[in-house]
Amino acid sequence: MDILISSLVAGLLIGSVFALVALGLTIIFGVMDIVNFAHGEFLMIGMYTGILTVQVTGLDPLFSLPVALAVGFALGLLCYVGFVKYLLRGPMVAQLLGTFGLMLFLRNLVLLIFGSEDRGIHTGILVGKSLDLGMGVIIPATKLAAAVLSVLSFVAVYVFIHKTKLGKALQATALNRQAARYMGIPAERMNALAWGIGGATVTAAGALLVNFWSASPYVGLLFTMIAFAIVALGGFGSIPGAFFAALVVGLITEIPGIWDFFTYTFDNDWMADVPMNSFKYTGVYLTYFIIMVVRPRGLFGWKL
Amino acid sequence: MEVVRNAFDFSDFPKTDLLVVGCGLLFLLFFPLLPHSTFAMATMIQFLMFSLYGMGWNTIGGYGGQVDLGKAQYVGIGAYTTAVMLIRWDVPFWVSMPAGVMFSVTWSFIIGYPLFRLTGHYFAIATIATSLVLKDVFEVWDFVGAARGLEILATKYDAVDFTHLIFENDNYYYYILLAFFLLGILIINWFRHSRLGYQLRCIKDNELIAQSLGIDVHKSKVKTYALATAFVSVVGSFHACYIKNIEPEDTMSLDLSILIALMAMLGGAGSLWGPIIGAGILIPLKSYLKEWLGASAGLVGIDLILYALIIMVVSAVEPRGVWGLIEKIRARRT
Amino acid sequence: MMKRFSMGLAWCAALMLIAGGWLVPSPAAAVKEVKIGVIYPLTGGAAAAGRELRAGAELAAQIANEVMDGIDMDMAKKAGIQSLGGAKIKLIFKDHEGNPTLGADLAKKLILDDKVDGILGCYHSSVTKTVSAVCEQYGVPMINGSSTSPALTKRGFKWFWRTTPHDKWFTKDLFELLDGLAAGKVRGVSGVKKDDLQRLAAACERTEWGAHVADLIKTLAEQYGYDLKKSILYAAKSADLSSEVRSLKAARPDVMLFASYTSDAILMVKTLKAQKAKPKLIWGQDAGFEKPEFRQTLGDNIVGILTRTVFLPKVADIKPVAGQVNQLYKAKTGHDLGGASARAFTGVQTWVYALEKAGSVDHAAIQKACNTIEIPGEQLVVPWAGIKFASTGDETGQNVLGSGLIGQYQKGKDGKIGLEIVYPFDLATADMIYPFPGW
Repeated sequence: MDILISSLVAGLLIGSVFALVALGLTIIFGVMDIVNFAHGEFLMIGMYTGILTVQVTGLDPLFSLPVALAVGFALGLLCYVGFVKYLLRGPMVAQLLGTFGLMLFLRNLVLLIFGSEDRGIHTGILVGKSLDLGMGVIIPATKLAAAVLSVLSFVAVYVFIHKTKLGKALQATALNRQAARYMGIPAERMNALAWGIGGATVTAAGALLVNFWSASPYVGLLFTMIAFAIVALGGFGSIPGAFFAALVVGLITEIPGIWDFFTYTFDNDWMADVPMNSFKYTGVYLTYFIIMVVRPRGLFGWKL
Repeated sequence: MEVVRNAFDFSDFPKTDLLVVGCGLLFLLFFPLLPHSTFAMATMIQFLMFSLYGMGWNTIGGYGGQVDLGKAQYVGIGAYTTAVMLIRWDVPFWVSMPAGVMFSVTWSFIIGYPLFRLTGHYFAIATIATSLVLKDVFEVWDFVGAARGLEILATKYDAVDFTHLIFENDNYYYYILLAFFLLGILIINWFRHSRLGYQLRCIKDNELIAQSLGIDVHKSKVKTYALATAFVSVVGSFHACYIKNIEPEDTMSLDLSILIALMAMLGGAGSLWGPIIGAGILIPLKSYLKEWLGASAGLVGIDLILYALIIMVVSAVEPRGVWGLIEKIRARRT
Repeated sequence: MMKRFSMGLAWCAALMLIAGGWLVPSPAAAVKEVKIGVIYPLTGGAAAAGRELRAGAELAAQIANEVMDGIDMDMAKKAGIQSLGGAKIKLIFKDHEGNPTLGADLAKKLILDDKVDGILGCYHSSVTKTVSAVCEQYGVPMINGSSTSPALTKRGFKWFWRTTPHDKWFTKDLFELLDGLAAGKVRGVSGVKKDDLQRLAAACERTEWGAHVADLIKTLAEQYGYDLKKSILYAAKSADLSSEVRSLKAARPDVMLFASYTSDAILMVKTLKAQKAKPKLIWGQDAGFEKPEFRQTLGDNIVGILTRTVFLPKVADIKPVAGQVNQLYKAKTGHDLGGASARAFTGVQTWVYALEKAGSVDHAAIQKACNTIEIPGEQLVVPWAGIKFASTGDETGQNVLGSGLIGQYQKGKDGKIGLEIVYPFDLATADMIYPFPGW
C-alpha cells in the first residue's frame, strides 16, 4: 500500500512542477500559433541559472527563483525580438526549422560553457530533509517545496492574465488577433510579452527542478516532450487545462510504481518480470499520440 | 516504360545545373582514387548516407509538406532486421534488406494511418512520439539485444564478402552506397514526374483544393510516407553492415531524425537536389569542425553551435533553404 | 551563355571544395618511438573518470620513458624500451565520449591514419566492444585495462588482451563476503545470520556493462542461495531516480546492489537518503562508487557503503611500490590513485612489457609476446598475483592472475573519509561497519 500512496503523491508533486513547465508553451502557442521546440532548453538554462546562483552567491537554492524568472524573461524576450519575429513571416516549416535551430544552439552553447557532466545541487537547508507521513510514505522536502512554489507561480500568472489589463490584452490577442488589433492592442508587443512570460515560467520551473533533478545540456528534450504531451492533453492554448493535464502526466510517469504495487499485491511473477521502469516516459509519448489521434483539439481544447 | 522515361527525364533543369551535377558525379566516382585519409572516406560515406536519408524524407516532407521528425525509427527497423538476420541466421544482406523494407513499410502503414489525421506541428510532434516509443521498446527487447545492442563480428567473414556486405576496405562500401545513391536520384526523379508526386505537391499547396479535385489526400500521404520509409530503411540496413554495432541510442535517437530533416530542409525541401546540397554542406562541416575545433581544441559543441546558427539564419532569411537562394539569384539574373 | 558557364564552373569549384576538404595522411615521424592509441572518455558523462584514466596512463608512460629513482619497478630503471633501442612510448589520446560508434571510428582512424602500433582503452565496456572488433578486423593488438564486462573475452579474439579481472570475479567476491559475514569471517563483525541478508535488490544501468552485471547477480544469487527480490535496469545518465528507488525500497531488501557510473551513483545515494531507505548493506560495483567526486559530493553520507575495486590507497600499506607510484600520482593530480587510474597505469605497463618482450613493433611479434607474457605481481601497483593471459579456452586474452577487493567508506581518525579494505578477509585494514549506519 505504501508504494501506491508514495507513487501517487510523487506523481502529483512532480505534476505540479510539470504544470509550470507547460504553462509557457501553452501561452506562446495560444497567442501566436507557434510551437517552440526550444522550450525544454529554456528549462535547462533555468537549471543552470539555479546552480550558478547557488555557486556564486552561496544562497540557498530556493532563492534562485527570482533570478531565474528575470533571466527567463530576458531570454524569452531576446529570442523573440532577435530571432522568432523573423520566423513568423515564413511558412510553418520555417518556424519548425528555426526553433529547432534555436534548440540546438542553446543546448550546445551550454555544452560548450559547462561541459556535458551532470550537475546537481547538493547543498541547501532542504536537501536531504524529508517529510514522513507514516506508513512508509516519505516526501522529500525539496520536491514539496518545488511543487508548492510552482503552484504559487502558476496561480500568479493565471491571475495576471485574467485580472490585469495587460493580461486581458494578451488574452484578447490569443482569442482573435485581428479583432484585438482593431481594439488598439499592439500585437507585436503582445507576442514579445508572451515569449517573455513563457520564458520566465519555464526557466523558473528549471530552477525549482534542479533541487532534485540533475542538470545536463541534454535534459531539455524530455521536458519539451512532456510539455507537448501536457498541452495536447489540456488543449492547445488553455491554461487551466494545462494544470490538470500536468497532474495527469505526473501520474503517468509514476505508472511503474503503481505497477509495482499490483505486482506485490498479487505476487505475480509475470508482472515482476516486465521492466516497467524502462517505460517511465513512454506513457507520456503514447498519451500525446493517442490524444492527438482521437481528439486533435486536445481534451479541454478550444483552439485549432 | 514510362516509369523509366520519367526517371531519366531531367529536361526541366537548366544546362548549368546538369553540368554541375556531371562534375559532381565525376568527383564522386573517382574520389576513392584520389589521395585521402580514412577520415575523409568516412565523411564521404556519411554524406552519401545522409543524402539518401534526405531524399527519402524529401518525398513526404518536401514535396508533401508534412514535416516528419521520426525517420530514425525506420533507420532502426532496417538496421535491426539486417543485423538480427545476419547474426542469428546468417541471412545475406540482399535478402535481409528487402525484409527490412517490408517491416518498415508495414510499420509505416500501421502508424501512418492514424498519424496522417494530423497536420502541421501536431503531425511533427506525433512522429517524434512514435519514434521515441519504438526506441523505448527496442531498449528492453532481449531478442534484439536490448540496450546493449547487436554486434556483427567482421572477422567471421571474408575480407571481401559481397553477400553479407562485410568489407575490410571502405572503398567497397563507398561504391555500393554510390550505386544506391544514383538509383535514389532516379527514383526521386520518377516520383517528381509521377501522378503521386503531382498529387502531393497539390496537397502541400492547399489540402482543400486537392480534396475538391478528387485526390484522396489521406491515401496519397500514406503511400508517399511508405516510399520515404523504404529509402530510409535501406540505408538503415546498410548502416548495420557498415557500422557493425547497432544500439537503440545510436540508430533510433531523435537527434538522427532531426539531423535528417534539418539537412533536407537546409538544402531545400521539395527540390531534387536540396537534400544532397544540404548533406554536402552540413556533413563535411560537422565532421571537420568537430575534428578541428571539438576534439583538438577541447571546444565541445562548437560544431553544432555553428551548425545551429546556419539553420537559424536560413530559416529566418530564406525558408526554402540553399536551393531557394539559388533560385532567387537565378530569377534576379534573368 | 559565357556568364552561365562560368557560374557553373564556379559551382563545380565550390562543390569540390566542400566535398574535398580531406586530410592527407602525415608522413611517419622520424624519431624512434612506439605509438599507442589511447581511446578514453575525456568528455561526456564519464569525463571525471577520463581525467583519472589519462593521468594514470601518462604517469606510466613517463615512468617507462625516463629513469626514475625510488620506484621499485623494472620499467622505472631504464629509459624507453630496451629491446627497441630505447624507443619511447608515445600515447595518442582520443576522446570517445562514451559513444561506441565514435569509438570504432576513432580506432579506424588511429590504425589507418596515425598508424599506431597498438591500442589501449576504452573504459566503457560498450566502447571496448566496438573498438576491439575494429582491432580484430585489422589485426592490431589491443590491451584493455579497465572494462569489466565478462562478454568481452568470450569472443575468442586473437588481438585482444584484458588485464583487469572481470565482473564475474567481482560479483563472486561480493557473495563470498555475504557468506563470510554469516560465517563470522569478517573482521569486527559477528553474530550475523544468513537469513539477515537473504533479500537482495539490484539496480544496474541499462548498458552493455550494467546489463551483464544484472545477469551475473541473478545467476550468482541463485548459486549462493540468496533471494533476488527485485532487479531493475535504469536508463544511464538519469536525471531522476526516485521512482526506481521507491521500487527498490518496496522490495524491502537487506542488501542493495548497484552498477552505476559517477553521476548516477551520486544521484542514487542522494535519492536513497531522501527516501530514507535503510538496507543492511549497500554495495556498488566500482565505477561511480569509487570516484573522488562521489566522496567529495556526498561527504559523510557515504560512511558504510561498500564498493568493489581493484585499487585503493590502503594498498600502499601492503605494497611499497604502490605507495611510491601513488605519491607521484598525487603530486601530479592532487588525488590518490583509484581503480580507474591504477588500471590505466597497469595497462600502459603491460604494453611496455609486451613491447620489451616482442623486441619489435611487428603486430605478429607483439601478439606472440602478449600470449606468453608473465609480469610478476611485485612489479604491479595493483594487488594482483601478476599478469598472464589465457591464450586458449573460453576466456581467451583474459588475465588469469587478477583479483578484486571490496572496500568500505569509513571515517578515519583525521576526520577524512576513505576506503578501507574489508575483503579479502586476510587483507582487511579495518573493522567492517555492519549494518549500514543509516543517514
